[in-house]
Amino acid sequence: MESSRDHDKLAEALRALRPAPSIAFAAELDARVAAGFPRPAPSGEAPLARFGARLRAMKPRQLLLPAAATALTLIVVVTIVVANYHASHLNIDTSPGGATTQARPTGAAASPERRANEGELLGKITRGYASAGNAVETPALPSSSSAEAEAPAPGIVESIPRDQSQGFNASVNHRDIEHSAQMTLGADPEDVGDAAGKVFEAVHAAHGIVLRSSVQNGSAGHAGAQFDLLIPSGRLDDALAAFSGIAEVRSRNDGTVDITAPTVGVGERLQDSQAKIDGLLSELAGSETETEREAIEAQLTSERRRSARLGAQLESLKKRAGLSHVSLKIVTGGSSTSSGGGWDAGDAIGDASHILAVAAGVTIVGLAILGPIALLALLLWLAYRAWLRRGRERALG
Amino acid sequence: MSQVLVAPAEEAPREADIAFEGLYRACRDDVYAYVASMLRDRAAAEDVTATAFERAYRKRSRFDRRRGEPRAWLFGIARNAALDELRRRGRHAELAAEPIDDAGAAVDESAEESERRLAVAAALETLEPRDRELVALKFFAGLSNAEIAAVLGVSESNAGTKLHRAVTKLREACDGVL
Repeated sequence: MESSRDHDKLAEALRALRPAPSIAFAAELDARVAAGFPRPAPSGEAPLARFGARLRAMKPRQLLLPAAATALTLIVVVTIVVANYHASHLNIDTSPGGATTQARPTGAAASPERRANEGELLGKITRGYASAGNAVETPALPSSSSAEAEAPAPGIVESIPRDQSQGFNASVNHRDIEHSAQMTLGADPEDVGDAAGKVFEAVHAAHGIVLRSSVQNGSAGHAGAQFDLLIPSGRLDDALAAFSGIAEVRSRNDGTVDITAPTVGVGERLQDSQAKIDGLLSELAGSETETEREAIEAQLTSERRRSARLGAQLESLKKRAGLSHVSLKIVTGGSSTSSGGGWDAGDAIGDASHILAVAAGVTIVGLAILGPIALLALLLWLAYRAWLRRGRERALG
Repeated sequence: MSQVLVAPAEEAPREADIAFEGLYRACRDDVYAYVASMLRDRAAAEDVTATAFERAYRKRSRFDRRRGEPRAWLFGIARNAALDELRRRGRHAELAAEPIDDAGAAVDESAEESERRLAVAAALETLEPRDRELVALKFFAGLSNAEIAAVLGVSESNAGTKLHRAVTKLREACDGVL
């Protein structure tokens, strides 16, 4: 009972000690509350400070949209940069002996270097491409950009300046590239003959050669034409552009194979062989006995045979690098859309899945970048909160 | 110095405005009393009180009643503002002590009451800042033990125990006046 009375007295004494706000302060604070705590006019404030003040005044859900937009923009930019980086590395991958496949711009101009090789090579073509084309094994196989594409046939030459340090022979400063192309054109059955005629004209205009051709008349699906062509590599782009103008292009695949290594290798072996022949001839001139002469002549015969074989191989390789093999088909029947020339529901589904895959990739890349940053920011924020809390408690003593 | 004032660009929800208005009316003097007892500086107490209410006003739409009483929420903001002020000035509340505000003294109080009040005031000065804060929250601000616990971030029983110890210390410091 006594304790309760003491407590009441203590409480009463404390209430009497309770600090009270001044009337002026209370009135001023009342006014500010009634006005909704107006902010000072931002006219004299620095733009950055003003922006910071506006950010602080925003509600979290108002900040969500701009933050999400910023994050999305960041993700897109990073993805584009990463994608371009990878694309640029893929496009320059033409290592010795390696095969590359790429889409060519229609009607692109041929390089002067490529045109320069054509004259001497065209003269040798009539000796037969087909037999020479398989004379030498190349270390690399051509590849295709399309699953349905056929393996590119041997073709002709292109000289491309190249960093010497990358070559197998330091004296070689160009690459021998074999080109090939496959193209399918779609036409109506009654137009097949006309289109085939235009193909011949285009081949002639490009100074090319028709190795094989077959034209089939008939109904849609049966009518068609097929051509195996050799086109000088320097005119390949022009020829393909001309073919594209004949009828609707339903598919096109370009392939390249670097045959620098076998070309240089065969050339070096040929030089060695010729040097050996010269040496044998000298030995033959200086031989004194019949037995000795016969032995040298036997070696000489064998070496000349080998030299001739190497010469044929080298010529074959030069032809492959100088002439591009083009396989051209003219097909009829079926809608152009079914062959990829148009756009239908199937294409739409394909496009949609492609877009979804890209979006998923973008999201993964974005998360991979933003995730650690967000985690770091969270840790920093938590550390700041802990530091602030400790500082406040310490301030109280 | 005159300052051009502009109204906030965004209108807050009317319900939140009304709730804040009621909270302000109910707690203005309590918050001031609590802050003044911590800072022992009338001018600073006015600034901090205004700052606390402004912060609460800006955050009023973020308040979630499920996470606690609005009164405890407001005093939590006021406590942080007062502690920030103490940190900024780099001093403890007791080092900055001013003479106890005499505004609460009644003109017609008896000599016994006056003596008791002075004794309690002197005893209050001897308390640790944390104990004085508990006394202020309980007797100046009129918070319940549950609200004190929410403000300090401790359990209710812990808050009650701490408060009991602080009051016991205060009573002992009064040296038989009570």
